[in-house]
Amino acid sequence: MKHIATEDYKTQAKTAVRNRVLQGALAGLQERLGKGTALAYQNLPEGPDLRYKAHDIRMHAIHNLDILLKQLTEKIRQRGGHVFFAESGPAAAAYCLNVARKHDVKLVVKGKSMVTEEIRLNNALINDGIEVYETDLGEYIIQLAGENPSHILAPAIHKTREDIGRLFTEKLNIPYTDDPPTLTQAARKALREKFFAADMGISGCNIACAETGHITVVSNEGNIRMASTLPKIHMVFMGMERIVDSLEDHNILLRMLCRGASAQKLATYVSNIAGPALDDHMDGPEEFHLVILDNGRSKILADKDFREMLCCVRCGACLNVCPVYRKIGGHAYGFAYSGPVGAVVTPLLIGINRARHLCQGEPLCGACRDICPINIDLPRMLLELRWKLANGDSAWQVHRENNLEKMTHQLWSMIIQNRKIYDVTLSAARFLQKLFPRQDKMISRMPPPLNGWTDSRHMKPLAQTPFSKKWKQRQSSKKQ
Amino acid sequence: MNASHQNIFLTKLEAALSDVPGALRNTRFSASDAKNDGDIETLDRIRQRTKKERLALLDRMAAESREINLNVLPVTDVDAAGIRIQQLVKEKQPEQGTEKHVVAWQHSLVKSLNLKNRFKEISVPIYFTEFSNPEEKTDLKERILHAFMGITSADFCIADSATMVLKTHPGQARSVSLAPPIHVAVISLEQILADLTELYALLRKDLTHDSAGLTRCMTFITGPSKTADIEATMVYGVHGPREVYIYVITG
Repeated sequence: MKHIATEDYKTQAKTAVRNRVLQGALAGLQERLGKGTALAYQNLPEGPDLRYKAHDIRMHAIHNLDILLKQLTEKIRQRGGHVFFAESGPAAAAYCLNVARKHDVKLVVKGKSMVTEEIRLNNALINDGIEVYETDLGEYIIQLAGENPSHILAPAIHKTREDIGRLFTEKLNIPYTDDPPTLTQAARKALREKFFAADMGISGCNIACAETGHITVVSNEGNIRMASTLPKIHMVFMGMERIVDSLEDHNILLRMLCRGASAQKLATYVSNIAGPALDDHMDGPEEFHLVILDNGRSKILADKDFREMLCCVRCGACLNVCPVYRKIGGHAYGFAYSGPVGAVVTPLLIGINRARHLCQGEPLCGACRDICPINIDLPRMLLELRWKLANGDSAWQVHRENNLEKMTHQLWSMIIQNRKIYDVTLSAARFLQKLFPRQDKMISRMPPPLNGWTDSRHMKPLAQTPFSKKWKQRQSSKKQ
Repeated sequence: MNASHQNIFLTKLEAALSDVPGALRNTRFSASDAKNDGDIETLDRIRQRTKKERLALLDRMAAESREINLNVLPVTDVDAAGIRIQQLVKEKQPEQGTEKHVVAWQHSLVKSLNLKNRFKEISVPIYFTEFSNPEEKTDLKERILHAFMGITSADFCIADSATMVLKTHPGQARSVSLAPPIHVAVISLEQILADLTELYALLRKDLTHDSAGLTRCMTFITGPSKTADIEATMVYGVHGPREVYIYVITG
C-alpha cells in the first residue's frame, strides 16, 4: 500500500475496468447519489443558483484567508483551545505526537478526515507505538483490510458484503455473516470499546466559521461525535482553506455541503465545536487542539489560475457524476483525493509531472462543475494543468512531458494550414491505413506510437472518399 | 515558538494574496450592522408566530421526519409525554442483557415529566446528569455509556430538516443524546423554528447579548445514526442511537 501511486494510474485503471463487482458498485453509487444531489439542488428554497452564491462565499473567504484564520485562532485561544499552524505534513504530525507523548496517549480514535490521509498521520502515530482506530465504518473496514479508501464519502465502495464478512470473521473473530446490519453491529461493538478507552480523538474539519470561532464536523454515523466527546483530548486537523467568514455564509455552505456529499438536507450529526469543555460540563474534551495545515496550499493560493481550487470542501459530489471515476474507481488516482477533485488537487500538491495521468485522464465534459455545490470550474483548471504539461512551466517546475507530442501538433498545424499538403497527407493516410488489420470495419491494431489508441479501443478508418469530394459530386449532379 | 509559526504562516498567506484588490479584502464578521436588519426581521417573525403557524411548522417537521426514520410525536402536555415515555421504556429492550437504566438531562422540561416516579413503577432507575464532585462525574459518565435510553430536551428544533439543536450546558451531558441506543427528546412547540436562517439569527443575537454564544459545543441531530458503507445498504444505529423519538408538547 503506497502513499502516492499516481504513476500506476493506467495499470490500476485497467484492473478496475475489468473488475465487474466494482463496476456494478460504482454505477449504483452514481445512479443514486449523482442524481439525488442534482435533485437536492433543484429543491433548495433559494433554487439551484445558490451554487453561485456558495462560490462567491468561498472565493470571499479565500481572498481574506489570513484575516479569517487569525480571527478563528484568537477566538479559540480565548476559550483555552490550542491552535498550531503547520507548514507541512511532517510538522503537523510532529505536533500531534508531541501532545500525545505529553499525555501518554496510547489509543487514538479517528473520525474520517481526508487531510489526515493526505499527511499520512496514522503511520506517524503507529510508528510511535500508538494504537489508532478509524471509526467511520467504511474507513474501519479499509483499515482492517490494510487498504486505501476509494471514495471520499464511501471509502469501502469497492468491497462486497462477502469481502467484509470474511474480513470481520478473520479480524474480529465473529461467525461469518454477510448481513450488513449484523456486520455493522459487530463493528459498533468492537469500536465502542475503543471509544471508551481512547485518550485522544482526532477529526477533520468540514468548515470553520471566523465570526463565531468554531469548527464544524459532519457525520452520519455519530463516530465523529464520539471521538470529539469521549476522549480527554480532541485534536482537529484542518486544511487552511476550510473557513467561512460569517454565520450567514456558514448557513449556506453547510447546507450545500450536505447536499453535495449525500443529497441530504443536513447530515445526521453536525457538531459545532468552539473549544474545550468547561469545568462544570459533564463531558466533552478537557483539551482542544486545532492544527491548521498548509502543506502546499499556500502555493496554490499564490497562483491566480488555481486559487479557485481552494474553494473545494471535499464533499465528493464530482466523484458521483464523473464518467471516468465511474469506470476506474478511486484507487487508480493513487492518492488521498480521487475523481475530478483529485485530478486537479493531487498534481498541485505532489507535483504536476508526477501526477500527470490524473489530469490527462479526465474528459473535460463539465459534469463535475455542474454538480459541484460551489460550482468550481474544474475543467478550466484541468486545461491549465495540461497546458503546463504540454509547454513546461518554471513556476510549478513542470518539464514538458512529451516532445514528440508537441512536434506532432506543430506538424499538424503546418499541414492543416495548407490545403494541398493537407490533401496529400490524407491521401497517404488513406493508403497506409489499408495495412492495418480490421475488425467490424474498424482498425483494430496499429504500431507504436499509434497503439496508444488501438490498445484499448478500435479506431474508425478515414472514409475512402472525403466529405468535401462527395459534396462537390452531389452539387454538380444536382445542377445537371 | 507557536506565535512565530503563526506569523510566518499568515505572512505567507498575505503575500500569496498580494494581487487581490483592496476592495475584496474586507470581512463581514466585524461589520454586523448591515446584517442585523435582516436578523431583526427574522426575530420578529419568530416572536410573532401564532399557534396555528407553529402547529404548521410541527406538521412540516413531522413530514420531514418520516423520510429519515425519525419519530416526531405531538403530545398535549407533560403528563401525556411522561406516560408515553414510561410505556416506551417498558416496551424496548436493551442491546445486550436485561439490565435497563435510563440517563437524562438535568433540565426543567425533562424534570417536569415526573420520570423518577413513573420509572419506579416499572423498576427502571433513572440518573440525571448533574454532579457535585469528581467521583460522581466519573460514575455518571460510566452510567451514560451503558444506559439503554437517554432523555434530553433541545434548545431548538428546525422544521425544514427535522433537526434538533442541542447546546452544551452544565447538567446536560453531550453523550446522553449519543451513547445510548435509544434517544428520547422532549420539547415544547415554541422551540420549533422554520429553518437554519432563523436559528442563525437567534445565535447572532446571542453573540451580542450573551457571551456564551453557541456555547462550547452545539450539535445538530437529524434522525438516528446511520450508514450505507456496506454495499450501500442503509443500516441504523452505527455509533449513535438507532431509534430517536421527539415528543412535542403542544399545550
